[in-house]
Amino acid sequence: MALDSWSLVTIFEIVVFLVTFPLLVFGWLMGAKGRNPIRDAPFESGQTRLGEARLRYMMQYYPYLIMFVVFDVVAMFLFTWGLAFATLPFSQDYVFLLFLAVLVAPLGYALYLSGRQESW
Amino acid sequence: MKELEIPTSPQEILSLAVRIITSRTFLEIVIFPGFLNVMLSAAFLTWLERKVIARVQLRIGPLYAGMWGILQPIADGVKLMFKEMIFPELADAKLLMLCALGLMLVAFAPAVAIPFGEGLVIANMDIGLIYVFAVISLFPSVILLIGWGSNSKYSLLGGLRSLFQQVAYEIPMWLSVLGIVMLTGTLNLTKIVEAQQKLWFVVPQVLGFAVFFTAVLAELERTPFDLPEAEPELVMGWMTELSGVAFMVGFLAMYTKLYLMSALITTLFLGGWSGPAFLPQPVWFLAKTFLIASLVVIIRGSFPRVRVDILLRSAWTRLLLVAFANVFVTAGLIWLGLGTIWSV
Repeated sequence: MALDSWSLVTIFEIVVFLVTFPLLVFGWLMGAKGRNPIRDAPFESGQTRLGEARLRYMMQYYPYLIMFVVFDVVAMFLFTWGLAFATLPFSQDYVFLLFLAVLVAPLGYALYLSGRQESW
Repeated sequence: MKELEIPTSPQEILSLAVRIITSRTFLEIVIFPGFLNVMLSAAFLTWLERKVIARVQLRIGPLYAGMWGILQPIADGVKLMFKEMIFPELADAKLLMLCALGLMLVAFAPAVAIPFGEGLVIANMDIGLIYVFAVISLFPSVILLIGWGSNSKYSLLGGLRSLFQQVAYEIPMWLSVLGIVMLTGTLNLTKIVEAQQKLWFVVPQVLGFAVFFTAVLAELERTPFDLPEAEPELVMGWMTELSGVAFMVGFLAMYTKLYLMSALITTLFLGGWSGPAFLPQPVWFLAKTFLIASLVVIIRGSFPRVRVDILLRSAWTRLLLVAFANVFVTAGLIWLGLGTIWSV
């Protein structure tokens, strides 16, 4: 009886779940309980808590995020190209390498822009 | 599945249960390349890390629990199991518990596709490499949820740092492996290991290996890239508000990740299970894996931490370009006709 890969992944994850979940429940049941305003405060190095922690943070790496989206997609296509690389003739191989070389130019410009806006 | 009949009598149910439990697939999933192996190795790695770090710092490390303190992980586990789980008053305790569980599920998932010996793999997937990368990229979202859910400033900052660090280093990590895919023409991890019988990929792909190892250090949040839990600034990073068993599970998940990433490096670059025949294949595999893991630990003992902006810029300006250079070098190798050494 041969199972396909995804059933095996599912069974493996179920095994992990069946061990981890009882462990968490066990810890929940066995650990001491009791509420205390000082103990329940979030850890702030001994200071009194100042407001909520769900603040708005500046995302100063936004240009990096844009680049990530672009290169994420490119990487996926590169893998399909890489699979066929050895079997393709030279005339079809070098085009993609040329594309990679051209890709470095906008990357450099984006890095220049993000470098100017950076204020960590 | 057609010949499978619904058992009716107790004897039939018993015999079916025995057949399932003694089947190779079940033993693989539960014992050797599967759950028990990963769990025990992760626990062993916590001990190994403490021992190696102690050697680096001229200390002795754990000593009393068992021989050379080898039972220390078990003692720690039992201690943490009986500790109180404290969650901050505004934290989402249910979300934190769920995320600890999810972290464990994500951390163990790559073990399914990694071959620990010839045929010793749970699922011999044709897209094993893509599967492993896809699963690893689930980490940042779980970690960010923990950071946000614990409603503490340290946790949130740690979660955010972890997110952008892991996301930024994913691209160089993928592209550094492209050379191997070009040489072998397959994404199946077993076939990638078989292609290295003559020469390990660390030789022709030395640039790729360097980039991959650096990216793995960043993905693991290890020194010199351990900004998400930089102790002097962020206490314990996104793990600050986890306690008791939830902390133990998160901690174990991080060591599982270390183990499986070392196993991935071994598979991709160090010839996987291949080695002289006087030792069985899984022994060679585990020896290489623990060697890589101790290298990661020694780096933690000897290097300072980098700054956040240097971390991000070096991913995009240096590692990405080196990974591209690796692709060009590999293309040159194949055009020179040297690719046949590693063809499957």
